[in-house]
Amino acid sequence: MPVLPFVNTRQRQFEALVRAHSGELYRYAYWLCGQAALAEDLVQETLLRAWKGLEALREAEAARGWLYTILRREHARLYERVRPGMDELDDEQHAAEMAWADPERQGSDAELREAMLALPPKYREPLLMQVLGGYSCEEIAAELGVKANAVMVQLFRARQKLKEALSERSETTHGLP
Amino acid sequence: MDCLEFRRRLGADPAHRDADFIAHRDACPACAAAWARAQQFERRLADALAVPPPPRLAERMLLAQATEERLARRKYLQRGLALAASAGGAFVLGRFLGTRDDTESLRALAVAHLPGEAFALGLKQPIPVSAIEQGFINRGVRLAASPPPDVTYVHDCPVGPYRTVHLVMQRGGLPVTVIYVVGHRNRAHDRFERAGWHGTVVPLRAGTLVAMAANPELLSGAVRDWRLSLDGPAASGHLA
Ligand SMILES: [Zn+2]
Repeated sequence: MPVLPFVNTRQRQFEALVRAHSGELYRYAYWLCGQAALAEDLVQETLLRAWKGLEALREAEAARGWLYTILRREHARLYERVRPGMDELDDEQHAAEMAWADPERQGSDAELREAMLALPPKYREPLLMQVLGGYSCEEIAAELGVKANAVMVQLFRARQKLKEALSERSETTHGLP
Repeated sequence: MDCLEFRRRLGADPAHRDADFIAHRDACPACAAAWARAQQFERRLADALAVPPPPRLAERMLLAQATEERLARRKYLQRGLALAASAGGAFVLGRFLGTRDDTESLRALAVAHLPGEAFALGLKQPIPVSAIEQGFINRGVRLAASPPPDVTYVHDCPVGPYRTVHLVMQRGGLPVTVIYVVGHRNRAHDRFERAGWHGTVVPLRAGTLVAMAANPELLSGAVRDWRLSLDGPAASGHLA
């Protein structure tokens, strides 16, 4: 059986990368930006950047962290671009997104998902890195360029805020006459 | 480790596994209960965050990359052509566009087009009939009958100066690439072999079908199926 001559190793390496990581990159992007379409764009930008810089990736085991880093930077760049005057709009978009009747995303735990999207980025980002990316406090600190102690505090507060939001919601709903 | 330190660590990193952390948990019932609650919350959090990615995300990402590559190559090609033209080689442009020898340039372009779609050759999942029909409709072509069931890739990409529908089918574990060139009818049937590919060029309706495979035995079946789909059963029956 002839070997197809043009399926080069770089293309094959990239394809493996995409198949292995696009799902979890999407999840990470979704919780960073809170919008399905934007999340897909972010993943696409991330992977195109990865394709162009594939030579910088020395070992396959480092791929995941490398992709997360690119995605975080892409998200930050996007935020810089749309930042002025977009803060209030962002909230509206989040609300619209949540209201969008998608049974999968509305799921059984819509409260927690909503609370997650309402979490300020400085708490949300390290929490996502820990819960979705499996980063240790030290790794998050290195990635974000802050001290490990500060990361610990952010992670603690992040969970505290989520739990507060959940108990507030259950109080308001159960407290109704 | 005391209770305060344990609770701080637990709130920030519930999956923490250091020996002194675990030792305190096992020695202190109140902290053990807090630990159990924290684990429960982590499971709930992980479930809530597990949004399903959109269907065929990886394929779409690979398509985006291939498109980007193709654009980059076209820019490169256009620069080359502009250079040739400005150097007084306008006839080079004319030849490239196929005014002199249609078959030759179509063969060359079809084969040259393949590397950008290399990933598509590895796709195994058949795509829905509606997606295939849409690929043709995007090029202003309506299929007369159902397309073959084993199409795994469709894209309405340009091949050189030609407007085409590019398809990949999987036959017996091997990819067969079909490029239907819209609005450009080749004068005659033609077979070729180039860069490890066997190809056949067939005038079909108002266009030209180029089928390519590593195994030449797969070509006639592919042509028959697409003739049926493009011409419809009655017309292709007369031709066969
Ligand atoms: Zn204790």
